[in-house]
Amino acid sequence: MPVTLLSVQKVAVRYGAIQAVENAELAVAAGEIVTLLGANGAGKSSLLNACMGLVPLAGGQVHFDGQRISGTRTEHVVRRGMTLTPEGRRVFPGLSVADNLAIGAAASPQLRRETAARRTEMYDLFPRLHERQKQLAGTLSGGEQQMLAIARSLMSNPKLLLLDEPSLGLAPNIVDQIFDIIAALRARGVTILLVEQNAELALDIADRGYVLAGGRIVLSGTPGELRASGLERVYLGAH
Amino acid sequence: MEYFLQQGLNALALGGTYALLGLGLAVVFSVLGLINFAHGELMTLTGYGIFYTLLMGVPYPLALLAGVLIAALAAVLMERIAFRPVRNASPTTMLLTSFAVSTILHILFQNLISARPKAIPVPDAIIGAVSVGSMQIGIIQLLSIAITAVSLLGLTLFLKKSLLGIAMRAAAEDFNVARLMGVNANMVISTAFAISGILAGIAGVLWLFQRGSVDPMMGFLPVLKAFIAVVLGGLGSLTGAVIGGFILGIIEVSLRAYLPDGMLAYRDAISLTLVILVLFFLPQGIVPRRESVR
Amino acid sequence: MAKNIGKYGALLATIMAVAPFCAAQAQDAIKIGFVGGFTGYLAPYDQPTLQGIELAVEQINKAGGIDGKQIELISRDMRSDTAQAAVTAQEVVDQGVQVMIAPCDVDPAVATGQITQAAQIPTIAACASTPILPGMVGDYMFANYTADNLQATALADYALEQGYKNALVLLSRDTPYTEMLPRYFATVFEKKGGTVAATLEFKMGQQDFSAEVTKIKELSPAPDVVMTAAYEPDFPAFIRQLRSAGITAPVLGSDGIDSPTTLELGEVAEGVVFSNAGYPTPGSALEKFNADFKAHFGEEPSAIFTATGYDVIKVVEAAVKATGGNLEGPALRDAIDNLENVAVATGSITYKGMNRVPLRVVALNKVQGGQKVHVANVTPNGADVPPAQ
Repeated sequence: MPVTLLSVQKVAVRYGAIQAVENAELAVAAGEIVTLLGANGAGKSSLLNACMGLVPLAGGQVHFDGQRISGTRTEHVVRRGMTLTPEGRRVFPGLSVADNLAIGAAASPQLRRETAARRTEMYDLFPRLHERQKQLAGTLSGGEQQMLAIARSLMSNPKLLLLDEPSLGLAPNIVDQIFDIIAALRARGVTILLVEQNAELALDIADRGYVLAGGRIVLSGTPGELRASGLERVYLGAH
Repeated sequence: MEYFLQQGLNALALGGTYALLGLGLAVVFSVLGLINFAHGELMTLTGYGIFYTLLMGVPYPLALLAGVLIAALAAVLMERIAFRPVRNASPTTMLLTSFAVSTILHILFQNLISARPKAIPVPDAIIGAVSVGSMQIGIIQLLSIAITAVSLLGLTLFLKKSLLGIAMRAAAEDFNVARLMGVNANMVISTAFAISGILAGIAGVLWLFQRGSVDPMMGFLPVLKAFIAVVLGGLGSLTGAVIGGFILGIIEVSLRAYLPDGMLAYRDAISLTLVILVLFFLPQGIVPRRESVR
Repeated sequence: MAKNIGKYGALLATIMAVAPFCAAQAQDAIKIGFVGGFTGYLAPYDQPTLQGIELAVEQINKAGGIDGKQIELISRDMRSDTAQAAVTAQEVVDQGVQVMIAPCDVDPAVATGQITQAAQIPTIAACASTPILPGMVGDYMFANYTADNLQATALADYALEQGYKNALVLLSRDTPYTEMLPRYFATVFEKKGGTVAATLEFKMGQQDFSAEVTKIKELSPAPDVVMTAAYEPDFPAFIRQLRSAGITAPVLGSDGIDSPTTLELGEVAEGVVFSNAGYPTPGSALEKFNADFKAHFGEEPSAIFTATGYDVIKVVEAAVKATGGNLEGPALRDAIDNLENVAVATGSITYKGMNRVPLRVVALNKVQGGQKVHVANVTPNGADVPPAQ
């Protein structure tokens, strides 16, 4: 049995009176690609943000790499080796590509010292970013911005990368490129928790999956099991 | 022509001071979404800092430096004590908190120091003027322009070259994502306040060179001007604050220089009307804040 | 009115019956109210005024009071807010004061005066200097401080005496003081043969006078005297920028610049002549006041407003003596209105025939080597003083 990297236990997230996530249980083992599926508003992003310490937990615990990380600050989570590429890419539009990458390595002095080397690695992985390193991120195309957003997250050399809707709003051929990159990352030993609305694409690449509906985990299993258990019904039900 | 050049220089010197003040407000606004109305009190603190360090026999240049550092320290403390507890509250709450800080400091100055102005000597060496051709340029004016230029250059270098500066710009564009990348939010906010304090301190020194005294109300008017400069330039944009400051300086000096005598009484009304006109056509200010693509 | 007397009489009788203690106390003490701006923009004026008032009250009480009556001072902060002044004034009036002292600026002084005028309580504005103030409020309102037109006349007389012919006047419409004092000066100066080359305007707090100074430099012929009622922080900024531009014309100012800042300006302020409410020449009452003040508060008076605040109480003392202890409003009002040559800290005060704006001494002073040097004490000819407007 591989080591469990991320373990989410009985997690709840509330925004005022709104219950975004309730009693969520989820685990990701080292080397896996795990996908978290669900309709719009099912609570996927809230759960990811809660894991990162961006929103406070209303209940439960999150452990990462054997240590409890719920209740610590985001920069500690990043230092431990977990980063999130947020939905909608959210690159810093007024910063150059190079500066965007530098921010990805801001979490600790150790990382900051390695900035130059890590950046070279990212340019190898994404040659397009190398060509545009001086350009402002806001002037990049959507696909390039997604590459930059992923590269920025990789700057902190994460063990686990949380990817929130990487295909959102991108043209189909670009989406294919992005999923090729995800596959390449796994080959480099990065564990990935992938949140996707495009269930077919995600199940093609994932080892296991969870389905979130109304803030609760309603299904889990291998892609085959999930497909067999009527995934579409869950989606339709949530809409 | 000479009159025009002279007035142009006047506009540059005044606009520079407004730019420094506006920039101080904008730095904090860009990361926190707060217009800190206690910014003027930081200038006042610089004045009192200089007054008391001179009283203790500290040499003049060191006293000026101490005054600026006191403003920076006060700005950081202000954030730590007053604004951090309400950081996640509504913008209105934060705005009201800044009014409260401003009022409390006023009353402390009035009751613990003095309601009367305290004189701050200005060395005779910087009072004179130098002749360029047939123009006379005041040394204080030249100094204002030079200090403004150096401050703007220094801040630009810091924001472009240092990681902390880059992180501040990132936080200004998208605070949550900056946090997500592991940027230390408290560090960025404290730095923003420290910078705003330094800028307020430098502007305070330039202001004091001209007025020669510090009193509890010293910062009141400048912070209003800075606020106008910031809104004119585009809330949250640092470049905008600088541009707004210079434009305000140019508007004010040109009105004073060229309005007929009978109209002079209305010049503030006219200059504010001009500002409103600009905002009518550019509601986000001259340099609108960049929103991240979502 | 007559119909109401019975009602009031009954009410009065009730009060007397249920509160004999209060009534007895009221007869023993003279209650003086002071509504002042001890915080806010008036604090630099009203705080020192309060110190002077307190000193006078303490001296008089120690010496046995006014004809045996102790003074009870009720001072309240109106936070330099005109609306608050009216509220505070009402509170103080409700405590039964017989004399009121109003704040140092026209608007809150008017607000205070409107309350006390209705209650028929004589009111003295301690340091508001606008000569139209008493007229704006009514017959219970008195000025105390050197009026703007009086000061301006003294300055204009001095300018002409020095042989200045061509004056530049710098004013600000932001307050009656900064606007009207230079205008009164211009009126007297022109009436007596001088010319006003130009009148420039500034905005209070503008700091930057470069545009105005550049205009002055362009004037031909160059003015041979510059007159302004600007004060801190405008005056230091103005004169520094004026001198920086190489303009050497003498500068005349008013009592607003009677402050340590002016003396610390160094070379740029050298030779500036300004008027104020008094100079402590050796053996003068003001010198004695300053000594008493230091003995009492342990510090030098921070402003002349300490002495003029003291003067108010001396005026009240003289008035109460004149009525023979009658503290009724109308009697006190008439007594103040007829006072002549009351000895006060700054010299003497006369109200008789002055429409409730006192005739007092104007001192002329010169900045010399960072010191305030006395030039002369003048009492302008009443006929030269331009009418209040």
